[in-house]
Amino acid sequence: MGLPLFGPTQDPGPSFLGLTEALGVAPAWGPTSSDVPHATTVVAVRYSEGIVMAGDRQASGAYIASRDVKKIGAADRFTGLAISGSAARGLELLKFAQLSFEHYEKMTDTVLSLEGKANYLSPIIQRNNLSSPLPVLPLLAGYDPTQQAGRIFEYDGAGGCYERYDFATIGSGTPFAEGALRLGFRADLDLEAGLELAALALYEAGDNDPSTGGPDFVRGIFPMMVVLDAAGFRELAADDVGERFHRINERRAESRGVAGGALR
Amino acid sequence: MSNYFYVSPEQLIKDRAEFAQKGIARGRSIVASLYDRGVVMVAENPSASLNKVSEIYDRIAFAGAGKYNEYDRLREAGVRWADSMGFTYAREDVDARALANYYAQHLGDMFTEGQKPLEVEVLVAQLGGDLRPTKLFRILYEGTIADETRFSVIGGDAEVIRERFAQAVPEVVDLATTLRQAVSALAGPDRTIPISDLEVGILEDRGQRRTFTRLAADRIAELLGEG
Repeated sequence: MGLPLFGPTQDPGPSFLGLTEALGVAPAWGPTSSDVPHATTVVAVRYSEGIVMAGDRQASGAYIASRDVKKIGAADRFTGLAISGSAARGLELLKFAQLSFEHYEKMTDTVLSLEGKANYLSPIIQRNNLSSPLPVLPLLAGYDPTQQAGRIFEYDGAGGCYERYDFATIGSGTPFAEGALRLGFRADLDLEAGLELAALALYEAGDNDPSTGGPDFVRGIFPMMVVLDAAGFRELAADDVGERFHRINERRAESRGVAGGALR
Repeated sequence: MSNYFYVSPEQLIKDRAEFAQKGIARGRSIVASLYDRGVVMVAENPSASLNKVSEIYDRIAFAGAGKYNEYDRLREAGVRWADSMGFTYAREDVDARALANYYAQHLGDMFTEGQKPLEVEVLVAQLGGDLRPTKLFRILYEGTIADETRFSVIGGDAEVIRERFAQAVPEVVDLATTLRQAVSALAGPDRTIPISDLEVGILEDRGQRRTFTRLAADRIAELLGEG
């Protein structure tokens, strides 16, 4: 690969997508066969000082393909990006987004706005999903330093980008996770309540959706939980997450698996 | 019918070199030096937004002297090259030496074949790690490349500043001392450079992937006070 110099009319600017296309190294977004592993449920919940995200760890094809996939990544310091759909495509998108935001920052010496990041992904998702039987759907959430608040952006299969002001879920466990979130969400959630609600939503999804991995007490593999606030992206320690799921599990065991009556 | 006069290759090269040197001499110089924990690049730059010192990759930084539009284009090409290399292969495969060679080839080509030679000198710094040593590559307007192990100076008054800095800092020392000596080498004996006219970037391991930081004015003032 030689030195990529462009004339003013061919210059791709700070877009990494434009650059990879100009150099011919862009990922081949396009059709894939349908028996590749799927990645599943992720939730994002807005709380008073930012965003809580939680995602299961399982990738499933006809069988369980992997039990310890990390579906939430730090796209940059203040931005979390989660993936559902085709695992291969999703992980590629995650890597591509991380590189793109850093590339933009280095090229222009400014950080791309959160909304700018959300919009940048739209055409990539559109291009992938319109040509592929295995779509990938990301969920972008982060702390917006200019608004000093957490913001969530979700996408539809055609690449449409929508801001959500409460919570969002992606993946096959959505109906169950969303049910728990709809009942439990309040506008004034603090961090602890936000984490509790996100964990509960994921527990529900793992309980009812075969493609979503619930807490795995045998192997000690638990969902991934992330907080995004003014200090940036941080992942909760595995012990902390494990304890939260142990508590939910104990409550459920006491009521013999019945969730009803209250959010427990 | 137009007339072509014979110009000997010696004269042609000399003219082009003179042209490039004149352009570079109009700009301010840059000192890059190792210090005990990394690499620091110090530039005199009255502009707060048109940078001379920039990040290329996790452990690679860039500095350019001469015409801004010309070296900034090289900086952009460097970022693009590094990011697409890291994307195609792995982050650890992005090597400053390869980039410095591309710069040297490009500057050499422009010097002999271009409409006019580029009026720039560039510096590529690499912070060492498990895989590679700490290195400073200095590339001149006609494509001459030199790798320097302790410090390097580019720009108009490079030779004078090099002398001053070499005498003041004979070995690798801490950041504050290195910075203070670099600033006084850039300024010379008869003037002082205001802090607002300094642009300082460092490559230092802080437990993160990206090692480049541009120092803010208050941090520079603090370090100059200590040094």
